[in-house]
Amino acid sequence: MPTWQNFEPFIVSGLALGGVYALSGVGLIVLYRATGVLYLAFGAVGALGALIAWSLATVSTPGWLTWLACIAAAAAVTLGYGLLFGPALARRDPLVKAVATIGLTLILYGVMDLLWTTSGGQARSLTLPTDNYTFTIGQIQVTWTQVIALGAGVVLTVGTAAFLHYTKIGTAMRAMANDRDITATLGVPVRKVEAAAWLGCGVLSGIAGLLLADLVALDATTLTFLVISSLAAVLVARLRSIPVTFAAAIVVGLVHDLLTPIVALSNYRDMTPFVIAAIGLLVLSRHQVIATSREEA
Amino acid sequence: MRATLERAAQPRTRRAITRPQLIKGTVTAAIILFTLFGLPEFMSLYYVDTMTQVAVYSMVALALGVLVGRVGLVSLGQVAVLAVGAWVAARLLFATTQPYLLVVLEAGLVTMLAGTLIGLPALRLRGLYLALITLMLAGGITVVLATVNFPNGGHGFLGYNGSQVHIPPIRRPSIAASDPAYFRYSVIIAIVMFALVLAHIKTKPGRAWAAIRQSEPAALAAGINTWFYKLWAFALASFITGVAGGVLAGAIHYLYSINFPAQDSITLLAVTLMGGVFSLWGAVVAALLYQFLPALLNNWGVSADWLIILFGVGVLQVLTTAPAGLADQVPKDLARLGRFLRRRLTRGSAP
Repeated sequence: MPTWQNFEPFIVSGLALGGVYALSGVGLIVLYRATGVLYLAFGAVGALGALIAWSLATVSTPGWLTWLACIAAAAAVTLGYGLLFGPALARRDPLVKAVATIGLTLILYGVMDLLWTTSGGQARSLTLPTDNYTFTIGQIQVTWTQVIALGAGVVLTVGTAAFLHYTKIGTAMRAMANDRDITATLGVPVRKVEAAAWLGCGVLSGIAGLLLADLVALDATTLTFLVISSLAAVLVARLRSIPVTFAAAIVVGLVHDLLTPIVALSNYRDMTPFVIAAIGLLVLSRHQVIATSREEA
Repeated sequence: MRATLERAAQPRTRRAITRPQLIKGTVTAAIILFTLFGLPEFMSLYYVDTMTQVAVYSMVALALGVLVGRVGLVSLGQVAVLAVGAWVAARLLFATTQPYLLVVLEAGLVTMLAGTLIGLPALRLRGLYLALITLMLAGGITVVLATVNFPNGGHGFLGYNGSQVHIPPIRRPSIAASDPAYFRYSVIIAIVMFALVLAHIKTKPGRAWAAIRQSEPAALAAGINTWFYKLWAFALASFITGVAGGVLAGAIHYLYSINFPAQDSITLLAVTLMGGVFSLWGAVVAALLYQFLPALLNNWGVSADWLIILFGVGVLQVLTTAPAGLADQVPKDLARLGRFLRRRLTRGSAP
């Protein structure tokens, strides 16, 4: 049985991962509430941004410019998709909208595999300068990247909740989550608000891609499918509650990393998001309601 | 995705066979006969193997098509179900000397049981949530399979021996040991599965599914046991996918968990939608897209990534403009082209 010392480093890395999952989850929820789209390409878009940043870094571009390029690329792709396919699919079932983003995922995945071939054998890595600055809590060494990851999760969760509650555009987003048609009748510029949600989600996916490329690995497949961990958190929150998303994301990140030193379970630690999402969903769906509105729960 | 309620809900009256039906039947029979006897004769072994995979994946796409097109349940985990079928078949083939066909049937039944057990709680969810829970469950199954591995002739319940040097191949039925013979064997099993689905669609379950697809509250109000029929669809789809897994085991002889990555389920959904979920031919088109096209491109030296991009574009195209997929769109477009050409020709000949 591993001792407490074995677990200590994984608490920090787990919290950092959880922070990134939380900020991804918040991005997914805001977009879903405003437009009804569950953006399954979130991970792929972040991966694209991170790979672009890597390519720029190889031609000695200053660090801050590569990070900006990563976020800008992710935001541009997301906004572009939203403007192009958002209106066309606006009246369709949420399931159809989500499956359409799988189309985008496949396109991005193909492009990434074509331009940044993985079979070459050379592993890419993206390191942020904050990796070099460390401090210790007790016996645990902590990098500033990990602090930023958790911090970004906390700040963005609180910030988004405040944004939705206090600003005009946030109020419009909440109104659209309830009923798009009535909101439009009230004079809210629906398309503009939706575009704002797409842009915000794209920026968050860029940030998440950058952080995950540093914390986990810079690899198109890995980053594309890491969105599943955030999806698990979002599912536990029933695509609704931002605080629950945050808590679930932290739990997913922590449990995943804390299983690493336990030999018997180490191989199964990648199941964490699946198990948490399955339990969460099944427990929460005890009370079955048949909804007839377009936005079925 | 417009449902074909009218077609499915037509009362069953005995009518004389109409001309279009006769043409359709003759064409289908001709295609089947050609596939069985003509095709293996002039294909290289590379393409015979590829077409065997097409037969296998046409069953998988068929099962997914039943769920998506008939009942309106989207599953993002069919490749994991296929892996379960292949695992069960491989374990039974190493452990017993039962006839191959019996093992395939057992693989289907065990997978059906597993699918039903998973479906029981999952069917409380609907729409988007159900799709995501299948993604989660498939991810879980993939992780477990990567750890326990596929049977390779070892002992014990799992039948895996990590230190085995000479891994025995998974056996084939004695009547279908060669590649062309196994191809025919797979096609015949696939035809039986298609007939099974057709029998469902034409009878009571098909009508119940069509009603559920249109509106679940309305189906419930009409006295349809929606829960039962959804579970039935789940069980049928799992059975067919399990059988496909059993056929796959003999086709490729050696199974590894990397053959069944979770992302393949997503690609599979993409090609199934592109092929068309409202027609049984759609499943065949989907399997050709999924297995034949990559083999062709590989032969020409074109990267398979282009295909992934094409599938992505195809999904967006299907969802925005052509909900019934290629199996519906291509004949329509050909008919339109024919009309256009005829008009041009008649106009050209007129003074």
